[in-house]
Amino acid sequence: MNGLSLGEKLFVQGGIAQDLRSDGRKRLTYRPIYVETGVIPQANGSARVRMGGTDVIASVKAEIGRPSPLQPNKGKVSIYVDCSPTAAPVFEGRGAEELSTELSVALQRCLLGGKSGAGAGIDLSSLIVVEGKVCWDLYIDGLVVSSDGNLLDALGAAIKAALSNTGIPRVHVAAEASGEDQPELDISDEEFLQFDTSEVPVIVTLTKVGRHYIVDATLDEESEMSSALSVSINRKGLICGLTKRGGAGLDPSVVLDMISVAKHVSEQLTDRLDSEISAAEAVEEE
Amino acid sequence: MEYVSPEGLRIDGRRPMEMRKLQAEIGVVAKADGSAVFEMGNTKVIAAVYGPREVQNRSQQLNDQALVRCEYSMANFSTGDRMRKPKGDRRSTEISLVIRQTMEACILTQLMPRSQIDIYVQVLQADGGTRSACINAATLALADAGIPMRDFVTSCSAGYLNSTPLLDLNYVEDSAGGPDVTIGILPKLDKVTLLQVPSDRIICQAFFMS
Amino acid sequence: MAGGASATAPSTYSPSPNQKKKPPLFKDGDLDWVRPDGREFHQCRPAFFRTGAVNAAAGSAYAEFGNTKVIVSVFGPRESKKAMMYSDMGRLNCNVSYTTFATAVRGQVLDQKESSSMLHKALEGAIRLETFPKTTVDVFALVLESGGSDLPVVISCASLALADAGIMLYDLVTAVSVSCLGPNLVIDPISEEESYQDGSLMITCMPSRYEVTQLTITGEWSSARINEAMQLCLDACSKLGKVMRSCLKEAASASEES
Repeated sequence: MNGLSLGEKLFVQGGIAQDLRSDGRKRLTYRPIYVETGVIPQANGSARVRMGGTDVIASVKAEIGRPSPLQPNKGKVSIYVDCSPTAAPVFEGRGAEELSTELSVALQRCLLGGKSGAGAGIDLSSLIVVEGKVCWDLYIDGLVVSSDGNLLDALGAAIKAALSNTGIPRVHVAAEASGEDQPELDISDEEFLQFDTSEVPVIVTLTKVGRHYIVDATLDEESEMSSALSVSINRKGLICGLTKRGGAGLDPSVVLDMISVAKHVSEQLTDRLDSEISAAEAVEEE
Repeated sequence: MEYVSPEGLRIDGRRPMEMRKLQAEIGVVAKADGSAVFEMGNTKVIAAVYGPREVQNRSQQLNDQALVRCEYSMANFSTGDRMRKPKGDRRSTEISLVIRQTMEACILTQLMPRSQIDIYVQVLQADGGTRSACINAATLALADAGIPMRDFVTSCSAGYLNSTPLLDLNYVEDSAGGPDVTIGILPKLDKVTLLQVPSDRIICQAFFMS
Repeated sequence: MAGGASATAPSTYSPSPNQKKKPPLFKDGDLDWVRPDGREFHQCRPAFFRTGAVNAAAGSAYAEFGNTKVIVSVFGPRESKKAMMYSDMGRLNCNVSYTTFATAVRGQVLDQKESSSMLHKALEGAIRLETFPKTTVDVFALVLESGGSDLPVVISCASLALADAGIMLYDLVTAVSVSCLGPNLVIDPISEEESYQDGSLMITCMPSRYEVTQLTITGEWSSARINEAMQLCLDACSKLGKVMRSCLKEAASASEES
């Protein structure tokens, strides 16, 4: 998909082997991250994250819904990602479907935790209004506007920023309905509940090129990868999700080593992202 | 419903002949040959141009001029209610066609035979006048890509409500059901390239351009 | 892992998850808790494999792990579609589908797209795609009955079907998942256990090369825990590999005789 000549390929590989990449970064350095919040006023929360040539937007919309009968004390969250053809002509028509599904699934796995809700970045029980009857459905939409590699990390960061920007209207239950009836609701348009996003994990993708792994790979570097491991790690240093891309097999010891490197990188990334998000929130409030 | 107050102010506080705040930026998509963001009030669209480049599908190649293609898509979060429509529904196909024809008319296609120019327009926020905003964004992106054009295409919509002609309708005014018209002109050449009136509405006398 | 013997226990109807109460013993960390089907925590269900289940296909395999029953057929390599660009590597096309009666609730939609892409990702690293340029291999998996750990069973079964079809492989691909239930790690979980799990880890690997082709984790895990679960899975994978290998050998010797 990315037509590199043999010389360019060797240049990318050689740079990574010598810990000096084509754009002057070291193997474990991220590109500068820019966060902008509140970019979509119609949504409950939104954010735009830019990392070099990668530009993604995430929005959070909350709608009143019914909890699933299997989990009456939990709200529902769904994540969809769309890749705009503006990012690359191959995304035209149905061309983006495969990548979009892959990204959506990876984000769901990394952010929504296990079946019982352990390790979820979003506290689903905070979305409940009336147990078993009314809850908030959160729709998280990601849009890739411009793509230069490392989409998953950027989307993860954008969702984290969008969630911290999200205000869910406070709901007053007017009359407690009995039996099967749906209770009457009074949705406040002044009071908003803020999300606690400190538990939302960050996603670190380690791309293996040759014998080394790099973070925040550009499109050129991704085309040279043998495999990549995306690890989502929360503030406590616990792994909340993991997906692997690329066909090449990895030795189990390499996998464990990559996880520990990702853990180390995530500490810096979490801090940097948090400060960027709070800076962006401060700018928006002005 | 009252769309124009007795004092002559519209719902969002504008005068009938006033446009919304315009904002534009070029070079927003790193990998594209040309790109632009165009905002008209709350309507925000992004356009990216790829090309002129080799024709991808040989059977579509034109030997005397460039092939211009366009795809219009709306983000899931662009409208008030979250929508999840499959790509390529009738409305977006129609708008893609409108944009393509309008832009094709102003690009000097005969200078680039056997090549292809792709215009991708993505609506980030829709608040009325998406067609106009898309055309304006596409023009900027084409200019940013350095594609030879006869002139800029500028576009705007107008409508007629409460016996007042209104310029640059927002979503509420657009959905009020009054007659409305979208026109695109080439300002230097002083020619109209696009004139659209929805078939179910009766046009009266709204011809005002920025 | 119990050997290649077929599942002898009568397949009882499994109650739907919402009717069953979560065993209270979890919280006490009591290790005496028994799994619904009476297995130990680190004991897999008996695995049964048989190749050549579908006559029309180039290769096929049937797998039965407890209540999970899967059939995979492989077609090709055949000419890639005309619309596809020239490629000097072969293509792999995977599709996983469920029968309408696979789950306790009829027609319950499971994410088949996701399973299909997972199957693709697990297999692509093991197939020598360069041996069949310009062509496509289709892998169609059908889950006849879903009894938990569907995807690992599908993946193992698919690699067996590929081997049966004579597609060049570096190694068989075996897959095993573990569920994290409270303090316990439970290998090869059944549906009920999966619906209560706090987290899951699935490894697909090539046992004789000792390489991981695919790894997914959900839920909250510490590094030590991941290490433990991975060792458990890898060990089970290598044993499962032996079972699959013996199944292939059996099929080969049977065809020689006839």
